[in-house]
Amino acid sequence: MTIQSVGQSVPRVDALGKVKGEALYSGDLSMPGMLYMKILFAERAFARVKSIDTSKAEAAPGVAAVYTAKDIPVNEYGLQIPDQPVLCGPGAAKPYTDLVRFVGDQVAVVVAETEAQAAAAVKLIEVEYEDLPPLLDPIEAMKPGAPLLHPDRGSDNICVHYRIRKGDIDEGFKKADVIVESEYRTPVQEHAYLQPEAGLTYIDEEGRIAVVCAGQWTHADRDSIAHALGLPNEQVRVIYPAIGGAFGGREDLSVQIVLALATMKLRKPVKIVWSRRESIIGHGKRHAVILKARWGASKDGKLVATESEVIGDGGAYMYTSNKVLGNSTITHTGPYFVPNIKADIYGVYTNNVPGAAFRGFGAPQALYMAELQMDKLAEKLGMDPVEFRLKNALQQGDTMSVGTPAPNPVSITEVIQAARDKADWANRGSKVVAGTPLVHGRGFAAGFKNVGFSFGYQENCWAKVEIYGNGQIERAVLHHAGAEVGQGTHTVMVQMAAHVLGISPDLVEIRTSDSAKQGNSGSVSASRMTFMAGNAIKGAAEAALEKWNAEERPAIAEFKYLAPPTTHMDHDTGYSMPNFQYAYSAQVVDVEVDTETGHVRVTRVVAADDVGKAINPDLVVGQIEGAVVQAHGYAITEEYKTDKNGKVISDQFSTYLLPTILDIPEQVDSVIVEIPDPNGPWGARGLGELPYLPYAAAVAAAVHDATGVWIHEFPFTPERVLRALGKI
Amino acid sequence: MNLWQEYKRPTSVAEAVQDLASAAGPALPIAGGTDLMLDLRQGNHPPVHTLIDLTFIPEMSALELRGDELYVGAAVPVNQVALDPMVGTHAQALTEAANLIAGPQVRNTATLGGNVAHALPAADGTIALTALDAVAEVASALSGVEQSRSAGVETRRMPFTSLFLGPGKSAIDKTREIIVGFYLPTAGPHQASCFKRIMRPQGVALPILNCAVWLERDGDLVKDIHIAVGPGGSTPFRATEAESFLRGQPFHDETFARALDCLLDQAKFRTSARRASADYRRHIVGGLLRDVFDTAWKRAE
Repeated sequence: MTIQSVGQSVPRVDALGKVKGEALYSGDLSMPGMLYMKILFAERAFARVKSIDTSKAEAAPGVAAVYTAKDIPVNEYGLQIPDQPVLCGPGAAKPYTDLVRFVGDQVAVVVAETEAQAAAAVKLIEVEYEDLPPLLDPIEAMKPGAPLLHPDRGSDNICVHYRIRKGDIDEGFKKADVIVESEYRTPVQEHAYLQPEAGLTYIDEEGRIAVVCAGQWTHADRDSIAHALGLPNEQVRVIYPAIGGAFGGREDLSVQIVLALATMKLRKPVKIVWSRRESIIGHGKRHAVILKARWGASKDGKLVATESEVIGDGGAYMYTSNKVLGNSTITHTGPYFVPNIKADIYGVYTNNVPGAAFRGFGAPQALYMAELQMDKLAEKLGMDPVEFRLKNALQQGDTMSVGTPAPNPVSITEVIQAARDKADWANRGSKVVAGTPLVHGRGFAAGFKNVGFSFGYQENCWAKVEIYGNGQIERAVLHHAGAEVGQGTHTVMVQMAAHVLGISPDLVEIRTSDSAKQGNSGSVSASRMTFMAGNAIKGAAEAALEKWNAEERPAIAEFKYLAPPTTHMDHDTGYSMPNFQYAYSAQVVDVEVDTETGHVRVTRVVAADDVGKAINPDLVVGQIEGAVVQAHGYAITEEYKTDKNGKVISDQFSTYLLPTILDIPEQVDSVIVEIPDPNGPWGARGLGELPYLPYAAAVAAAVHDATGVWIHEFPFTPERVLRALGKI
Repeated sequence: MNLWQEYKRPTSVAEAVQDLASAAGPALPIAGGTDLMLDLRQGNHPPVHTLIDLTFIPEMSALELRGDELYVGAAVPVNQVALDPMVGTHAQALTEAANLIAGPQVRNTATLGGNVAHALPAADGTIALTALDAVAEVASALSGVEQSRSAGVETRRMPFTSLFLGPGKSAIDKTREIIVGFYLPTAGPHQASCFKRIMRPQGVALPILNCAVWLERDGDLVKDIHIAVGPGGSTPFRATEAESFLRGQPFHDETFARALDCLLDQAKFRTSARRASADYRRHIVGGLLRDVFDTAWKRAE
């Protein structure tokens, strides 16, 4: 009898180690003879480094070395384009690497025998800056003639521009009976990992530079580190220890290159652990976005034309802005059919902290605009907002903004209905609470997003399975580089391998996240790992099982899964088949607004998400609840504040307010929808980002329902709500 | 680099002040350490030579009735204050404030004396003690004479609001003085108090605004009242103008409105870039005060 693991809520393979405190995170690691590193951050938004004097720091007690830009073999890195200096300062071969472009730019590093010695020596480094007026407003920064952040990258600060031209916008608006025009602003969000950036580097037994540091894609980290150090990729080895959250933010590097440089030069282990402040100022955040929309619909409730402009603040460096805003482009009309579309989507360099990948990857911002536009159109038409959405929901074969239909089964209608029905949408309680300043409201929003990498990248993922035993399978070993960032992917991987082999998941050992030992798995991002790893593991396990059945002992097989091909967007129209899969989400949010204080309390969330197949239902619910809490911070409590010079003033958790258990929604009802994708392993789509997508828009709709006021910018802090109500 | 060289555990107030006076370098008292340790670790306070732990001094950890006063030692952990039934009976505003300071772990360690010594104008414990008209007992070493470790302590009683000079600036000289404890009047008939606050997010951050009221009723008349609001100025704010107006007045919507006007005229609300604007504080203080007042009023029936 074979054991069916897929679809079962098996316990997490990493639970016991984490609960007992045995799991080792980057900051927990130590080696004999280890040195400590501290980084000198620029702490200014825009400046030229004229000179750096490290002599006093070098002479300080315990100091082994001080490095500046001149010590970096190839002083550049970046996941999409290498536009970021490893260290900012004079003396590097590449031009313009003496420019500091945000407060968290790194200027020098000190390596010393103790952390305190390194910290003391950092203060002895003398840097002469020529301060430049910082460009903090993307609208100013994109104007012709604005000072250039990257003079080697074109004649303006626009780092990316996508166009959608579909149908005939003028003809479309002629058919519009109602038009809604609005401008929205969405805020920066801090990833706020449980574990700040930290790492340990050493020379391994084969002479490679080993970098033990949390990330999301071992092989991409390895290649970037090797590039900056001027080494062949094989001379660098990236290993992931336990990872305390990533959410997209760990796709871009932070401490890895400088640590590896120090180990390369000193031939000794070197460790660094960032403080919370360093993590808040020193590494990318969710893009702040300005969105302008003019949308029209006909009396019978059909969208006829949309015109939109989206400006994303890319901050100092590209990071993944080109892909993030590409994704905003695809999602900016929501999961709806629109015959005529004009849109321009820009990413702009500014002297703010870089915009980075963050759960949802450009979709939450675009959907905030799309969903509020839908609500306002429905209001103007006198239609129920859910009915209006259903009337316009993408159907199989409908072309999206990019001019082609979604490839896999389009399930937005079923997902909207699932959320509506679970919440009993039409049947809500009384709005006012007699004798109190409290008012209740209910809001709806939907969303969708690609699963997997887009725009012509040939998606691939590697796995290897080994089967041991004689008559029957005694154990199996699964090799896979995919990162466990807390979401439970290793458990799901083990389940899928066990399912193919028909054995208990207890018999599957997983070996993972070492670039020297496994093939490329791609990044744990774009909600792709269940889909991609699942197909790779299924392929490897089936091949190994075939060998097992042919009496091979042990039976070992590798498999590299290639996803269906995609295409990049046409420069002028955006026409493309950019993704091989999408997944769909919808939420109903109930709020209670205190009209005296402006506090918004979320009393209930119904979250429906089409995961195709829930490989592990408990983990699906965990992802939904986690995403809702993270989106709640985005929508209501968190506020990343900078001053007029671009310095971050919310640089601690005492001022950057994450939701606590007392703030989060009182009830989250997860509705797991399973409409299989024929290409997915057992039909699975993806999940990680989905439940995040509609939340802020659903809260805005609920606040409007309660108060009658649309609030175009969030977070919905008490003060912003009261101002919107005209009370202050 | 050590954050301190010596750590002392005196068992009497006299020993503690002598340890402070005779330390070989910069010395500071420490109790819960929930603020001080962060400051030292994060480099916001320079390293000290000697830390003097006040939590082994019985007088400073006492919480008891003394005659017609309730005594709360300055080193009593906030959570103990929150749970103590005598505090609940005589100083309910302090119970309510203590319950809202930080999270449970911090409350188990942080002390009421530390909350006050930090001299923030909106610390929850401080605002409650302000309305309760507490008196602080402060000890210092007798100066000028060579003292043995067990003698030579001078104690004095200070009105609570005189402990504060400005935001983060205490009138207590931490290098030679120690707050030993607080004396609160016990509650008589028709006397009651209440503390509430408005904050975001719930539970861990500093309040946007907090408020404590102590009052005595004479039927429908306000016989006596203390109102404290934080932050309503650079030090813990007593709304003395509103108090004067309300004394002897019947309590209803109109008198409340006039009292609120007095408060708004007297208070100096400011905009804090990280927390809230002055406009917002001015707008919400009325609702908060009314809520606190109503609760205290009912309790004093």
